[in-house]
Amino acid sequence: MTIYQPTEILIERGEEKTPVVQRALAKLPQTPVRIVEKDWERVGAQTERQAEDKDAFGAGKRRLFFTRQRSRFLEHCPAGTPGLVCCNYLVVSLISNCPMDCSYCFLQEYLANNPVLKVFTNVDDLLAEIAQVVDRQPWRQFRIGTGELSDSLALDHLLGFCSDLVPFFASRNNVLLELKTKSDCIDNLLSLDPQGRVVVSWTLTPAVIADAEEHGTASFTERLQAAQRVQQTGYKVGFHFDPLIEYPEWETGYQQTFERVFTTIDPRRVAWVSLGSLRLTPTLRKIMRQRFPRTRLLCGEEVLCADGKWRTFQALRVKMYRTLTAWLNELAPHVPVYMCMETAPVWRKVFGRSPMCDKDIARSLTAPNLGQQIAAP
Amino acid sequence: MSRLNELRDQLAAYAQRKHLSPAICDRWQAWQAEDQAALLAYAEELQLGENQLKDFLDWLEEIALRDETAIQAVLGQIEIRSALASPGSRHDKLKAVKTALRKMRYPRLTQLEASARAAVQALDLGRSVQISFPPAFEGDEITVTFRARNTSELQERLSRLQQRVDDGGFQHMFDVLDEV
Repeated sequence: MTIYQPTEILIERGEEKTPVVQRALAKLPQTPVRIVEKDWERVGAQTERQAEDKDAFGAGKRRLFFTRQRSRFLEHCPAGTPGLVCCNYLVVSLISNCPMDCSYCFLQEYLANNPVLKVFTNVDDLLAEIAQVVDRQPWRQFRIGTGELSDSLALDHLLGFCSDLVPFFASRNNVLLELKTKSDCIDNLLSLDPQGRVVVSWTLTPAVIADAEEHGTASFTERLQAAQRVQQTGYKVGFHFDPLIEYPEWETGYQQTFERVFTTIDPRRVAWVSLGSLRLTPTLRKIMRQRFPRTRLLCGEEVLCADGKWRTFQALRVKMYRTLTAWLNELAPHVPVYMCMETAPVWRKVFGRSPMCDKDIARSLTAPNLGQQIAAP
Repeated sequence: MSRLNELRDQLAAYAQRKHLSPAICDRWQAWQAEDQAALLAYAEELQLGENQLKDFLDWLEEIALRDETAIQAVLGQIEIRSALASPGSRHDKLKAVKTALRKMRYPRLTQLEASARAAVQALDLGRSVQISFPPAFEGDEITVTFRARNTSELQERLSRLQQRVDDGGFQHMFDVLDEV
């Protein structure tokens, strides 16, 4: 995994003494620091950005900017698009932008004009907001993830957010925190007790795809070793085979990947597995062509779907889903499996039925996990 | 060097004649000289405009990358050359070349499209009954539309449809949706 080294640290005036800034400054003593005004991102950053190199998005990742979140933290997962089956997932973002640089990453489009990697300093506000929502509805089970606009753990050695998040979620019995990552930055987790309320999940692809397309991430083996360590410490783990990549040797590649996962990881303490086809907007395809001209991911047989995204054509991706779910049934028969951003017809073809409503999937994912204290091995 | 200059001038002249955008020209000119020249020959013959060229650029780059070959080698394949040499108007040739190129770019999808057409044809339901698959084959429903001017025509259509349900013809239609 590439070690993140920012070219510059920018701190909004007034945030210098916040714990996360202090932690980062202690870890990055050689990095130049600049104090900027509240409106710098809107005014100064855009001007500075124009002078940067051709890959402004890539350069922006290396400018670490600490600021306050002034909007709400808690949001519905944007994957809940009309026409697609949704799993009723909530997301919070303490970081916006990612130190890694996967060729297929939607942030390239979503944060195209974002000149920085932004870290929010007011973690207390985030925790208060979550508490207000989940404590008001104690009968409801929530799943909340931090991996929407960044990798949940890749910067944790610098920022230490896990030491705020894990104890908070560990103390509540109607919410699961999911930390989603392609890193192996798990050291901070190992000394914390998740009380069964934290799922650490890894996005996985066959090693050949990870090496070619997931730049700056931990290797497949490193991710798997990290998953094994956190599972042994008492965390539940999850796996996201998303995006699924259709390439000439995909059957062998995914079969070997699954076998390695479930010979290394105890399937009884896997919270969930998700599958999701590669999906690209036309704009993202264009960006990928510019930033990663040698990527093979634009060479698949995709069609433009009703939600405006290109996906592998349905018959082929249904074949992939059926093949993969059959293997999962053999290797990990009790692990809940769901698909991300798929239509009801695809659910029917793969699972024989589609969920009646979004709460259906949410219930199937939280039921096996909540109320079960996970015993350390 | 003079050959390169000549090619650059030819391409610039073509771009000016066709009012091509700088983005398209930049992409084309970023190719190897032999690849640029190979596409220019097709562009001249077929009089490709901005939108057609964009498809050609996308498909050719993607095929060449996928098959680890040069663009000029893709354009030199017999299927593409035969399409260009096919009889008919320039429009017919363009259609034939694009069909051949698309088949090369999307071999399994175009096979699925061909199977769907063949399955509809095999039902032999006549012109008054139309069968359609969902757009881009995304979904699990097929649409059957038929017209009738009176009850006997209606009866006739229904009994033919029933017959195709009974003999498995319609099952094949649904199977096609998963064919790969």
